[in-house]
Amino acid sequence: MHYVIVGNGVAGTRAAMTIRQRHEPQQARITLISDESPYFFSRTALMYAYMDQLRRRDLEPYEREVYDRQQIERIEAQVVDLDAESKKLTLDDGRVITFDRCLLAVGAGPRMIDFQGLDDVEDGLVHFVSLQDLDTCERLTWSTDHAVVVGGGLIGVELVECFRHHGLQVTFLVREPYYWPAAFAEEEGQMISEHIRSHGVDLCHETQLASIETDSRGRVSAVVTEDDEQIQCQMLGIAIGVVPRVNWLRDVATPPAIGAGLRVNRAFETSLPGVYGAGDCIEIELDPKKEPLHEPIWYAARRHGELAARSMLDDDISYEPPIFYNSSKFFDIEYTTVGEVQDLPAGTNTLYRRKPDAAVSQRIVVDGDNCVLGFSMLGSRWDHTVLTRWIKENRSLDFVRRNLPDAQFDVEFGRVDLDSFNEEMRTL
Amino acid sequence: MRQRGAVGWLKHDITHRGVTAWILTLLLAAFYFILYYGGRTIGGFAVPDLWTGAAEVLGFPHKWLFYGFLYTLAIVIGGAYVMWKYSHNRYQLVRTTVVIFVQCTLAFAIPWILLAFEQPEFYFSYLWPLQIENFYPSNVVNQPLPIILYSVIGSLVLVPVLGVLYGKRWYCSWVCGCGGLANTAGEPFRHLGTKTMRSWRFEKWAVHLTLIAALVVTAVVIAAWAVGDNYPQFEETAASMQSLYGLLVVTMLSGIIGVVVYPIGGTRVWCRFFCPMAALLGLIQKFGRFRITVKDDMCISCGLCTRYCEMGIDVRAYAQANTDFVRASCVGCGLCAEVCPRGVLRLENKTPRDPQELTMSSLLSETYR
Ligand SMILES: Cc1cc2nc3c(=O)[nH]c(=O)nc-3n(C[C@H](O)[C@H](O)[C@H](O)COP(=O)(O)OP(=O)(O)OC[C@H]3O[C@@H](n4cnc5c(N)ncnc54)[C@H](O)[C@@H]3O)c2cc1C
Ligand code: SF4
Ligand code: SF4
Ligand code: SF4
Repeated sequence: MHYVIVGNGVAGTRAAMTIRQRHEPQQARITLISDESPYFFSRTALMYAYMDQLRRRDLEPYEREVYDRQQIERIEAQVVDLDAESKKLTLDDGRVITFDRCLLAVGAGPRMIDFQGLDDVEDGLVHFVSLQDLDTCERLTWSTDHAVVVGGGLIGVELVECFRHHGLQVTFLVREPYYWPAAFAEEEGQMISEHIRSHGVDLCHETQLASIETDSRGRVSAVVTEDDEQIQCQMLGIAIGVVPRVNWLRDVATPPAIGAGLRVNRAFETSLPGVYGAGDCIEIELDPKKEPLHEPIWYAARRHGELAARSMLDDDISYEPPIFYNSSKFFDIEYTTVGEVQDLPAGTNTLYRRKPDAAVSQRIVVDGDNCVLGFSMLGSRWDHTVLTRWIKENRSLDFVRRNLPDAQFDVEFGRVDLDSFNEEMRTL
Repeated sequence: MRQRGAVGWLKHDITHRGVTAWILTLLLAAFYFILYYGGRTIGGFAVPDLWTGAAEVLGFPHKWLFYGFLYTLAIVIGGAYVMWKYSHNRYQLVRTTVVIFVQCTLAFAIPWILLAFEQPEFYFSYLWPLQIENFYPSNVVNQPLPIILYSVIGSLVLVPVLGVLYGKRWYCSWVCGCGGLANTAGEPFRHLGTKTMRSWRFEKWAVHLTLIAALVVTAVVIAAWAVGDNYPQFEETAASMQSLYGLLVVTMLSGIIGVVVYPIGGTRVWCRFFCPMAALLGLIQKFGRFRITVKDDMCISCGLCTRYCEMGIDVRAYAQANTDFVRASCVGCGLCAEVCPRGVLRLENKTPRDPQELTMSSLLSETYR
């Protein structure tokens, strides 16, 4: 059986390892194809390479010899055609690869808007998603004094941090009135905004990019906001989200079903026989009546990869998304979230706790029946497995509040004193 | 990429084995060469005794105390830098304070005071088998009884008991001056330690062989002292073993190599590959309560923990596999937990043993990756 996996990100690589754990090379030949990097690397660590804390090689989670030892073949090329009937993939160098089972784990690419003036831009505009983006950023940093970053999400703030590290003046344009309303209530959003500003970033909320200006050689020279303000800059970072890299699949020999992403069912099967999907590129149809699920985060991609591989190995898989959790870091503020904290129905209660003298806060969300729904924790470390368990066990707010220290994960001697917080209870 | 400007270049170059790192290594090598061989003639070349001169000028009784002063200064200045850099991390603040305090008192002021009162010098922070002379009978007989008791109880009771309760770190990251220098002045170089499987294989052999050598040399020297007069031949062998160990392990590896290679090989080369105390405490640690707990499924495989582990442990390998771990070599510096951007790791002393299997073969091979 030949398993061919397109995309060697965390989903694809995890799938390859899962197959290899089950089957010896004689039973399962595994090929990983990528057009980005010959070895799996950690996309989440791009910023640390940019900031000189890691070398390119340190981004690779497995020693290179692992691929030989596990007999996982690697191909560095772009897949341009998929024929599910004759079970063939065509590469951009003309090679044809035949497969028995194929996994599409092609990830996501930067979302883009057709800004005015974009057509004239030859250089100076960057995204921050791929290794090639990292190369471009590094090349341009040398000749940049002022950079503009557009987009108030996780990648945007990482890019801002990198630029500040290199001593650039940064203007950070964010459409929303406070940082990241998709995940934060106003208090937390404001707190993060303040923190970003304290690192010398010119953060402009409720500001949108209208047009891009270029110099005679096509390099970005300024941007103009919708309020007609002109900002001189030599680099423009666009980080307004990512979209599944599925456009190329629309005109292959046998196009799979595609919505906003590659459509798969709970067993990670696409509409094509023998072709599966996993990671950032898919949307999962859990219930035909509801919007399909798109989970573009590392942890989900890793999980998908493992489950899709088991599905390819004929295990009976029916994906049930676990209780959501995620983590991040905004400059120095660590962030852990579990469960539901935004877009809540009326009648939901939230308890907001804020340390008066430091950027440390907790938000605990409970439903109308006093069962805990979610947590949003900033500025200190939390064990998300404990928080998840409380949600599963339908614990009450009182219980959670009493036992909160059990979920703390601060360093020794550094446990945050939970008694010194201001509390505010609110019903939505 | 490095930061821009001359300072950016220097910061990168010196911490990434650039020209300046090699120059610094050469300077350190020259410093130590003069320290150990100043005043002697080696291969027809008279090594100038610069540091004795410097010690006289500065009013130190001999060059070793001058060296102790420089060493302490490096720990104080480096320690201040580390406390500034990790000021948000209480573990690092407490630990570094203790390191600085121990160095200033036990490893510097007290031996000096002893010397001033014409007592034999004694370094309370260094214990056998690291300080192998502590168990050499010829040294022991010169010491007052309380110090003999301290040194025997320290090595045979304190080391194992605290090792079981708190892991190797109580000594290697809180007390010992070698670790102290590594974790303060050595901070800019901590990431240079090699992380390859090959280095790990070498480490397992090298460090345990030095421990065996230390045990054998101690035993032989004590035996020779006990029966010496009747077996002059044996006494001679013991003396030459003692001086060979002194030259190779104490002078070369711990005295010189340990610090000289900081800028090119990382901070804990001696600690990781050769220190007999490290081997001993490592074995104890495997049976103790110390462990590093991994928060399940939270690792983003970024690799910062591995890169900044001075003992060359591939921490990421455990973190991304959701395995709590106790590695014999781990000195519990806590930097992996500090640099982790997702707060995945925590150093802990816990009574229920960690879930790792503890068979003799896994202990020897540490193959559970
Ligand atoms: C800067 C940044 C920071 C992030 N930080 C976090 C974080 O902190 N936490 C978190 O949970 N998530 C984070 N994410 C998201 C996370 O990285 C992704 O969810 C995850 O990498 C998705 O993995 P994947 O395997 O699905 O896809 P990818 O990692 O995108 O891998 C897909 C691979 O397929 C290749 N490919 C695509 N098309 C083809 C083709 N036609 N032929 C050959 N190869 C192809 C691509 O080049 C790519 O190498 C971050 C993302 C970015 C960009
Ligand atoms: S390994 Fe040895 S030299 Fe290093 S800190 Fe521990 S006891 Fe000291
Ligand atoms: S594993 Fe962590 S605590 Fe142990 S030596 Fe390495 S960095 Fe220090
Ligand atoms: S630093 Fe943290 S997130 Fe990064 S690899 Fe290590 S444990 Fe994982």
